[in-house]
Amino acid sequence: MKPNDGQPGLYLHIPFCSAVCPYCDFSVMRVLVSARRRFIDNLVAEVSIAARDWREPRPFDTVYFGGGTPSLLPVEDLACVLDSCRAHLALATPAPWVFLEANPEDVTPEACAAWRGLGVRTLSIGVQSFSDDVLRFLGRRHDAQQARAAVEAAQAAGFNTVSLDLIFGLPGQTAEAWQRDLATAVTLAPGHLSCYQLTIHPFTRFGARLARGQLSEIPEEEKADLFDFTHRFLADAGWPAYEVSNFARSSDQESRHNRKYWDHTPYLGLGPSAHSLAINDECPKGTDQKKLAGIRSRRADVAAARRWWNDLRTPQWERRVAAGERPVEGEELLGPRALATETLMLGLRTTAGIDLDGFTMRYGLDLLAANDALVANLVNEGRLVIRSGPEGRRLVPTLSGLCVADGLAMAFDLPLQR
Amino acid sequence: MDHIRNFCIIAHIDHGKSTLADRLIQQCGAVEAREFRDQILDSMDLERERGITIKANTVTLPYTAKDGRTYELNLIDTPGHVDFSHEVRRSLMSCEGALLVIDASQGVEAQTVANLYLAVEFGLQVVPVINKIDLPSADVDRVMEEIDRDLGLDPFASIQVSAKQGSGIDGLLEAIVQQLPPPKGEPQAPLRALLFDAQYDVYRGAVLLVRLFDGTLRAGTHIRLMHSGEEHRVEEVGCQRLKRVPVPELSAGEVGYVLAGIKGLSGLAIGDTLTEVERPAAEPVPGYREAKPVVFSSIYPMATNDYEALTKALEKLKLNDAALIYEKDSSAALGFGFRCGFLGLLHLDVVQERLEREYDISLILSAPSVRYRIVLNNDSEAWIDNPTFYPDPASIKEAFEPYIKATIMTPERYLGTVMDLCRDRRGVDTTFNYLAAGRMEVVSNLPLAEVLFDFYDRLKSITQGYGSFDYELLDYRQGDMVKVDILVNGEKVDALSQLVHREFARPRALRYCERLAKTIPRQQFKIAIQGAIGGQIIARTTINPFRKDVTAKCYGGDITRKRKLLEKQREGKKKMKMVGAVEIPQAAFVAVLRTEEDEDGR
Repeated sequence: MKPNDGQPGLYLHIPFCSAVCPYCDFSVMRVLVSARRRFIDNLVAEVSIAARDWREPRPFDTVYFGGGTPSLLPVEDLACVLDSCRAHLALATPAPWVFLEANPEDVTPEACAAWRGLGVRTLSIGVQSFSDDVLRFLGRRHDAQQARAAVEAAQAAGFNTVSLDLIFGLPGQTAEAWQRDLATAVTLAPGHLSCYQLTIHPFTRFGARLARGQLSEIPEEEKADLFDFTHRFLADAGWPAYEVSNFARSSDQESRHNRKYWDHTPYLGLGPSAHSLAINDECPKGTDQKKLAGIRSRRADVAAARRWWNDLRTPQWERRVAAGERPVEGEELLGPRALATETLMLGLRTTAGIDLDGFTMRYGLDLLAANDALVANLVNEGRLVIRSGPEGRRLVPTLSGLCVADGLAMAFDLPLQR
Repeated sequence: MDHIRNFCIIAHIDHGKSTLADRLIQQCGAVEAREFRDQILDSMDLERERGITIKANTVTLPYTAKDGRTYELNLIDTPGHVDFSHEVRRSLMSCEGALLVIDASQGVEAQTVANLYLAVEFGLQVVPVINKIDLPSADVDRVMEEIDRDLGLDPFASIQVSAKQGSGIDGLLEAIVQQLPPPKGEPQAPLRALLFDAQYDVYRGAVLLVRLFDGTLRAGTHIRLMHSGEEHRVEEVGCQRLKRVPVPELSAGEVGYVLAGIKGLSGLAIGDTLTEVERPAAEPVPGYREAKPVVFSSIYPMATNDYEALTKALEKLKLNDAALIYEKDSSAALGFGFRCGFLGLLHLDVVQERLEREYDISLILSAPSVRYRIVLNNDSEAWIDNPTFYPDPASIKEAFEPYIKATIMTPERYLGTVMDLCRDRRGVDTTFNYLAAGRMEVVSNLPLAEVLFDFYDRLKSITQGYGSFDYELLDYRQGDMVKVDILVNGEKVDALSQLVHREFARPRALRYCERLAKTIPRQQFKIAIQGAIGGQIIARTTINPFRKDVTAKCYGGDITRKRKLLEKQREGKKKMKMVGAVEIPQAAFVAVLRTEEDEDGR
């Protein structure tokens, strides 16, 4: 797989929530009707602003409404945004694969029908847990009964993929309670599951409680055991992992949008805090082409890319879009070393691992040869395996490797140019 | 010559030697009040900070005595630590008298006695000075009793002062003039000048500090160093008065400096004798002893590209520290460095600190070692101070290690624990004497290698700070040494190898392994740390790998942030030494060298 083989993805960030969850560190806010209208107008405006600079000729084959809680928006708002995308950007024909994140309380048969009408094919439901106690602790607005009802309604509506978000590793949550959640999820038989182990971020309410000593994180050993258990349980039940936190009943149920973040497929992100990535010649206007060419010319087949991101503060984002500007807060040019680092860091989070021959070709560096002692130790330790197949050799993390993927990536030496 | 007095001040550490020197300088007006700073002879920051004198310094004081005559008092400051007895010796050689400082509350200590013996050995006239009489705990009567009984000096010749308050200094200056003899010597005889110290001046090169025994020295004199044979033309002579003051000539009995356009100090042997090429002396000044390093350690720069800087820094240090010796060394784990010889552990410590502080180089030091004498099966002999070069055990017929005679002073109540300490460190022929009511002297013959390893700290700890310790090298005795290697995931870390007595090999190896296990960060795979003698594993610890560090989410916005974090961590990794694929931080090397004392304290 080459980095820019796939068609690009479009991400639309809807920062609204009916209440802000105590563990959430995304760009979110509570919403009033007037503010919502203004936001949609601005998002529509940003589509046309971004379209002026987006050079990638291939059409977007995925559109992802994330947040926040996009399911809070009336269907007309979503339609309005999609229409604008269709008007200004190249979308795949007959239609791109549309993803929508939804809260259980919003998932009714009527809403599902309307979303299906818009072209939504993956509905990702923020179930989090099937335990009322846990849901209360998490500050969610739905209960276990609503969660089940939502999943059932979504499945009845005939989405290609229904995905459930679950959260585990909460302070005080027993292994048994988590096992019950997983069992319930499996019984409901969704196509896709995302199971996120709780990370307490410093600038959240949980973070503040942690700092005050009102909350404690579970010890590393227990975290590892839970992670292990989750992966084994779901694999046995028929939902093998394809990434650290993502599980699919079959490969066609895997998220074809999120995958783009992990293999340097281009993506365009609109809305506050959204990130975008462009590869090589498809970098938008305004990219320092000379600098980019400089990075590229050192090796003919080495990739260079540009990543940029919007202001994450909604009011600032709105002000700049309203003034007709690109609401970009920062950007970076990625040379061989940065791209190789990301390939390693992201690849080792997936069960597909890293295409070693592709890596050598792209970056001119034999990853194994440059790290022979390390790889020997890691293979010995059962963290990694080197798998040879018809498509060449791959460096693949084992389950215990996935569990330490962050550190694995750091251990490697990448003697490459910036 | 009658108006000259050459003297030094000797004292147990902390008995107030430097403060007393300050007072004498002030009293004689050798320095303006505004130029004055405490411990003026201790010119290094390190000396002032630690309150110890490392480098001997010299100053000439003009003093008008009660008899109306003006005297030239040459004060030769001496280092106060046992490691530097070498520097003490050559300072003593240039004096006729010594002030022996005794703390009025602490009384006679181990080094007071050791210093007195030295002074007597060099035939010096000694004036006991009871210092710190202003302290509430001062007990002058008891100290006078100790001067009589323990030192065999006349207690009524002693002078009582408070260097801190400046009281009694007049009386002391008079005593210097009255009690200390003037130098003897023949200005007309062939030149004999003792080189007792040398300093390095960036502009003028080597500054030789000399004491003339016979003859005269002036600009233009063609000199020869009798031991090294080097010849030079004198450019300038003068007196050290905090600053150098040129004089037309130096004559027998006087102390002063000589500039002769000598570039570095490396060719100079302290204790050498200067004579005139045209009219050489028959014999050099006696008593010359080479400074022999007894402790050896390899110094490596933490960052490989600091090697050049380290080379230059050592060259410069050597200019002012004739006792420091070094040669190139290299380690598979740590790269290029230097094998250095030191007078003792404090000397090692001082050199390390000066390199790190004055030259801003981060260092890793290998475990200190003594020099062993090895007799091989073919009866050839080898001297080994570096574990790397330790011969194959099968080829060794006999091994010998240096022993010291340790003299320990301790209050009686700690006698048992001190005796135990000596026994634990393989001490033999341990004896003890009562010095006075409640005070004991323990004498033990100890392998020097056992003293290197935190002996002094242990002693201080078990005697709650009351114990003091001095040693002199004794001889070489047979010992059963083994080379202990430390292996990290099967790879030998050569810088951590050390020579240990067989009896202590296992506990020492285990302690090293445990300390390493505490300081090497967990990694992605299990790390085995082993201690081995040859192929035999004698100690082992394991560092368990990370089990979980992966964060759950990694989507659009997380990627850049995550990569930058990773790049930063990777930057930090560069400060580690790689052994195989294992990252070993500097702290791990330091931890292995750390004494138990530090460990308990942390």
